[in-house]
Amino acid sequence: MNIVVTVKQVADPNIPPSHIQLDADAKRIISPFGIAPVMNGYDANALEEALRLRDAHGGKVTVISLGEETGRDTLKRAVSMGANTAVLLSDPAWLHADSASIGQLIAAGIRKSGPFDLVLCGRQASDTDGGQVLHWIAHHLDLAVVTPVTKIEAVEADALTVHRLTDDGAQRITVRLPALLGVSSEMNEPRLPSMRGLMSAGRAMIPAWKKNDLAIELSAPRVALRKLAIQIRTSKAEMIPGSTGAEQGAALADKLREQGLI
Amino acid sequence: MPGILVIGEVAGGRLLPASLEAAAAGAALARALNEPLFGALAGHGHDGLDSAAETFAAGFATLYLAGHASLQNYSAHAHVSAAQVVIKTCSPSVVLCPHTLRAREWVPCLAAALDTGLVMDCTSLAIEGTQLVAYKPVHGGGVVGEFVVHGMPRIVTLRSGACARGTAAPNTQVERVSVNAPEDERVTLIEEIAAPASSGPKLADAKIVVSGGRGLSSPDNWHYIDEAAAALGAAVGCSRPVADSGWVKSTHQVGLSGSNINADLYIAVGISGAVQHLAGINSSAIVAAINTDAQADIFTRANYGVVGDYREVLPAFVEQVRKLKG
Ligand SMILES: Cc1cc2nc3c(=O)[nH]c(=O)nc-3n(C[C@H](O)[C@H](O)[C@H](O)COP(=O)(O)OP(=O)(O)OC[C@H]3O[C@@H](n4cnc5c(N)ncnc54)[C@H](O)[C@@H]3O)c2cc1C
Ligand SMILES: Nc1ncnc2c1ncn2[C@@H]1O[C@H](COP(=O)(O)O)[C@@H](O)[C@H]1O
Repeated sequence: MNIVVTVKQVADPNIPPSHIQLDADAKRIISPFGIAPVMNGYDANALEEALRLRDAHGGKVTVISLGEETGRDTLKRAVSMGANTAVLLSDPAWLHADSASIGQLIAAGIRKSGPFDLVLCGRQASDTDGGQVLHWIAHHLDLAVVTPVTKIEAVEADALTVHRLTDDGAQRITVRLPALLGVSSEMNEPRLPSMRGLMSAGRAMIPAWKKNDLAIELSAPRVALRKLAIQIRTSKAEMIPGSTGAEQGAALADKLREQGLI
Repeated sequence: MPGILVIGEVAGGRLLPASLEAAAAGAALARALNEPLFGALAGHGHDGLDSAAETFAAGFATLYLAGHASLQNYSAHAHVSAAQVVIKTCSPSVVLCPHTLRAREWVPCLAAALDTGLVMDCTSLAIEGTQLVAYKPVHGGGVVGEFVVHGMPRIVTLRSGACARGTAAPNTQVERVSVNAPEDERVTLIEEIAAPASSGPKLADAKIVVSGGRGLSSPDNWHYIDEAAAALGAAVGCSRPVADSGWVKSTHQVGLSGSNINADLYIAVGISGAVQHLAGINSSAIVAAINTDAQADIFTRANYGVVGDYREVLPAFVEQVRKLKG
């Protein structure tokens, strides 16, 4: 099974709002000095699942990322985890592309990278919290989308049985291949790079495809980011006193009662 | 004359309350743009929609009911087809939906099919001239993005709790539209797996929620949370690591990638207070937090804080709650 995984490089989602920095236009989050950007968490889950499927059923795993040159570090990380091939899509013309255009470009990159049976994306990127690039990719590749997927239960030659999270439980679904899935974090625990993987990553040749390689004219943005603003909470909780945990616990109940909350 | 179309959500024959919040936000846009307000519901058979339609009374010029057998169980394909039929009928300039797990799947499919602008999980909307500006938390919630949405129609989904419901107002007319979507043979539902029924109230409806995090350190300690929830008649929530590890089902997860709660009181136990978690707690909720770390971020959101070990604090809390409630 040939699987393509989209991996996005993002600012570390654990950076607290008080340490976030924005660029001069207030349009992009920049990673503070000393805190390296990371692979989007859900994309790491998608990659982990792709590696497991490949190891069980054969085929290869291609990772693809759109962004700046620094995105190579994330692609190298993917290779060190076990991906076979990596492609970077990078052109200054795409710097402010919206989700629709990013999806269109990634779809073109996936097409160019060769035949595939399955595309695995993250359910959302932790910097945009967007949850729509995967749908635009699917649209341009004419694939069905299922998201958020928490489990791939069974694999057949031309179909997968998956679990899709719903507001009150789950749906068990059969999806014909080729298809695109949005992977959620319940699916697995991403592996760490192996020694051998780190060595292949060191040697890996990662091509960077530009505007001319994809030959796509982008249409006008459907969504334009005007600006970002950082929100910092500064309020302080009223601390419940007590010399033991038990005293505090009882005092908390009294407090909530006094406020008419319980 | 275009219009503002609010697509409500029906689950189990019941209107999802967040649909009324989306309707109130839609009404504000309709006033600002001086355009009519339309509503729509999609579901299994027209009759199945009638009771939900009665509760979806938001003063719509027309409420469209798109009934079709293929809509009995949720599928993205059927929802996109139904929405497309309604959009063809009333040519709205803006489409609004509540932001649910379903919407996260089908609404972007609709946007791609119509090749139009979409911003999801918005916390506020504004009209500037004829422009639609959508405010949406990004990077987990520590940053808010201001987006101008283009295209026809412009589509947004609204975070639950972001807008207050309006007062009920009768709809001028109800119109049934027929959806004739061929099935999508690529995606077949085998079965719906309902989450195991818990004894307490549902997370989304509960007035009080008691939530546990990684600080509980093992599923064997989860009974502390269950006992506190039972004493308070509260729903049980959790943070993402707890759901990811399978201590409790993902349907209990509160936060950006889980549920939004609408509670008046939220009790966070062994939860550090990451922005992604706080994103699921409505702004009006009073928060009480129990955490061993006095520096934990949860104390910057909490109204009441206890610095202590939940294993000592919670049992005494539960005992006192039982006493107070008699
Ligand atoms: C894209 C994205 C989406 C996400 N979505 C969500 C989401 O929807 N919901 C969510 O919750 N998270 C979400 N997260 C994860 C989030 O960033 C945090 O990692 C997570 O909320 C941390 O969970 P926690 O507070 O339970 O664990 P931790 O951060 O590990 O905190 C455990 C806390 O327990 C305290 N503690 C330890 N022992 C005790 C004790 N004996 N008594 C009392 N306190 C104790 C510790 O001091 C600590 O503060 C998301 C992350 C990303 C990147
Ligand atoms: N620049 C990118 N490079 C690679 N994959 C991406 C990129 N942007 C989005 N994706 C994929 O699409 C998913 C959803 O992104 P978003 O719509 O931004 O939340 C992510 O989890 C990735 O798998």
